[in-house]
Amino acid sequence: MNSLTKASTLSSENISVWFGQRQVLSDVNLVFPANKVTALIGPSGCGKSTFIRTLNRMHELIPGAGLAGSVYLDGEDIYGEEFDAVSVRIKIGMVFQKPNPFPTMTIRDNILSGLRLSGRKLESADEVVETSLRRASIWNEVKDRLNDQAISLSGGQQQRLCIARSLAMNPQVLLMDEPCSALDPGSTRRIEETIKELSSSMTIVIVTHNMQQAQRVSDQTAFFLADDNTPGGVVEFGATEQVFNGPIDQRTNDYVNGHFG
Amino acid sequence: MSFAPRPSVQPWARVNKSRKSQIFLASVLPLTLSALIVFFTGLDQNWALVGVFLPLQLVAASLVGFLAFGRRGVGDSFLIVLVVFLSTFVLVLLVSVLVSLVSQGAKAFSWTFLSQNNIYVSNTTSLDFGGVGHAVIGTLMIVGLTTIVTVPLGLAMAVYLTQSQSKTKGLVRTLTQAISGLPSVVAGLFIMSLALTLGWERSGLLGSMALLPLMLPTVARVAEEALRLVPVDLRYAALALGAPNYRAFFQVILPAAKSGLVTAILLGVARIIGETAPLLLTVPINNGTSWNIFSGNMMTLPAYIYGYLASVFEPSQNRAWGAALVLMILVALLFGATRLLSRSKSLKSKPTKQKASK
Amino acid sequence: MGKLQGMSEASVTNPAPVRRKLSAGPLSRGDKWFFRTASIAANFAFVLVALILISLFIQALPAITSQGLPFIYGTEWNNSKDPIVMQIGPMIWGSVLVGALGVVFATPLAISLAYLIVFLLPSRAAKAATTLVDLLAALPSIILGLWGLFVFTPVAAQWSSLLNSHFGWFPLFQVSTTDNGFLGSPFIAGWIVAIMIVPIITSITREVFSQLDGDLINGALALGGSRLSVFRRVIFPTSSGAVVGGVLLGLGRALGETVAIFYVLQLSFDFNWSQILEPKGGAVASMILSKFGEASKEEVSGLIAAGLVLFILTLGINFLASVIVNRAQPWRKI
Repeated sequence: MNSLTKASTLSSENISVWFGQRQVLSDVNLVFPANKVTALIGPSGCGKSTFIRTLNRMHELIPGAGLAGSVYLDGEDIYGEEFDAVSVRIKIGMVFQKPNPFPTMTIRDNILSGLRLSGRKLESADEVVETSLRRASIWNEVKDRLNDQAISLSGGQQQRLCIARSLAMNPQVLLMDEPCSALDPGSTRRIEETIKELSSSMTIVIVTHNMQQAQRVSDQTAFFLADDNTPGGVVEFGATEQVFNGPIDQRTNDYVNGHFG
Repeated sequence: MSFAPRPSVQPWARVNKSRKSQIFLASVLPLTLSALIVFFTGLDQNWALVGVFLPLQLVAASLVGFLAFGRRGVGDSFLIVLVVFLSTFVLVLLVSVLVSLVSQGAKAFSWTFLSQNNIYVSNTTSLDFGGVGHAVIGTLMIVGLTTIVTVPLGLAMAVYLTQSQSKTKGLVRTLTQAISGLPSVVAGLFIMSLALTLGWERSGLLGSMALLPLMLPTVARVAEEALRLVPVDLRYAALALGAPNYRAFFQVILPAAKSGLVTAILLGVARIIGETAPLLLTVPINNGTSWNIFSGNMMTLPAYIYGYLASVFEPSQNRAWGAALVLMILVALLFGATRLLSRSKSLKSKPTKQKASK
Repeated sequence: MGKLQGMSEASVTNPAPVRRKLSAGPLSRGDKWFFRTASIAANFAFVLVALILISLFIQALPAITSQGLPFIYGTEWNNSKDPIVMQIGPMIWGSVLVGALGVVFATPLAISLAYLIVFLLPSRAAKAATTLVDLLAALPSIILGLWGLFVFTPVAAQWSSLLNSHFGWFPLFQVSTTDNGFLGSPFIAGWIVAIMIVPIITSITREVFSQLDGDLINGALALGGSRLSVFRRVIFPTSSGAVVGGVLLGLGRALGETVAIFYVLQLSFDFNWSQILEPKGGAVASMILSKFGEASKEEVSGLIAAGLVLFILTLGINFLASVIVNRAQPWRKI
């Protein structure tokens, strides 16, 4: 059984983000402690998804992308000299909004795809497959059809497959960008339970526009906001309990009570 | 792909029995009337078609249209009759090509024809002897060589156009388009000028080279489209797992674009397999079979057809038709393969829904 | 609006944030080779175009310098004179005439066919018709030449004879003598070329028609519009740009056509400006093919120069086509 790597602390310091000349995020300072789930909430278009992509260096894939500030993984700047983008993405995994299993591969090959793509050696492949599928709470449903095409699964199953695929890389942090927004409530609930179980072995950051979901799964919450034509930023950041039931900022209060957004 | 405007969907009309009989009469009457006129006055058929049948049909249809929809209906009927008439005309011409190909070509068709060459064949030798075997081999060899070189090149260009961030992408695309405008005879002249400048001998190899600029733009363009069709989030998923670009490409993007890429190859081959002018300029012909593409003479299907086309002797004309049929069969096979590929791809991309287990 | 986190008093005096250098380039050594190979292939496009132009130019130069500008408009090609005289004026005009005829014949046919397929046929018949048209787009031109010579020419000659006998007063349809049987004329060649380019124009037009907004058309119909008015007011204006582009593409193809009309058109170095039924025509591509076999060294240079002129002509037309299409439908790439 592979030993799970110790979860890490991720933090962003003075992160500002541009697309070309347009600044979309200003000065984001957040800390994501080890083994905790942090939710990023806010109305659409305020930069949550953009921000989360700075955490695993996916933002720079967009032509014209600009960034200032630093992101620290256990104290080391992932944009610094010691890291290259590939090693960052191996340690910090990502699950996307729309399930995207590789359509030409079987379920089994999808799980192992991360190892193959990053050039790692495949030792004890069967163990890796089983462990990852178990951690994503989907092992029992697919254990008899590992060689079926991945796209034969339902939407919710595909998303859990994608989670398992990321887990196979043993990341220290898992980033999730609205992972349930394309799914039905049943699948959503299964995934939320999975998130809670996973947090014991890794740090999780989840973007969600569903406030009840944020309250259900997260330990702390950051509320993002952007005015028209001004760069977005974090309005309030604290324990989930406090952000939802006793917010400090009036705007947070308005948002969590459904007055806008 | 085809959406609404069909007569049966018009909300304000109902095609009832009397209408149907009107339409029937409007189609049949002008036809019979024209046929009778031709029969009795001996009017030339072509003239009758355009000068008698068409106006009668227009009038009849306009009448029906007027009865059904009023003034508006006249214009519509006019439009429909005109469209159907012109389309039928063109379809008849196109079908005539295929029909004459099959009927004339079949005369020469036989196993002998497909397998033998023409070494001892003269202009009047009967069709029992000789064939296109050497031409088929020559075509396969020359086209094959061009394909082997062009496909990796075109694929690499497609990769460049879709994967790299360079600023000269637009220029490359424009240049590729410019090459696609090269008239085929000029492609032959290009290689001949190269040969004259560098002292090369004419050979099958030169023919392959002449075909390259004709095949390359097709392969590059279709391959680029195939790569573009792969959803971009697959690439992102691969990169997010820690893949460098080349592994993301070979392990995820390429397999996903496979059928489109094969289509690119097939379309490229279909494009050049019938090209005549470049080969006539660069490849000296041979009545026997040649296996050496790098020197000496070689016969190809298009050159064969060209050679026997203008003969006044019937056996030679039959041979030309037979060779043309062989060529068309090859093109149709390539074409059918691309259709099969696109059909199987669209079947595969629908994920089969499993039972309710989530 | 209140302060966002991070916009403390201190940051007002802080300098503007320094952007880091980000790149989306190679992520590993393997990547470097990957991108390098792709670049080399892309550069090959430059190399190829340059090679074509340069090698054609080198071999054409002797002819260009010896003939000068009259090469393009003169009417004599005489290889027994010394110095040799090579001029392709009638050929260039002939190519243009045949190409124009082809376009004039093909466009109404292609648009009708596209209209039929998209708006009139039930979907199975439409699919069959589309397959037929696409198959014929792949038809090698030599096969068309074969059919043209044996099957079509007699028919077209009959049409020519009819046109001449009924409309012979019109300068376009006059002939010097009716004894030749109306064979080998630009009219016939124009029809062959038209059949060749109908599939091209039909494909593009069909694509444009089927991309039209179905709701827009249904809405117009429901408001009481007729087919004709919908066509005139909705379909035609929206698609005309792309259709013109398709027509120009067809014209480019027509100009370069060699073997389809080789046996069907009687080449003559006498300008035939507009007598389309007369068996005198020109086509640069056919001329090149007919003379190449027995050309002397100087003639080869002349032929290569002719090819260069033809290439430049088709380049110009294709460029015009892409400009027009891109302007009409900026989201399309031809």
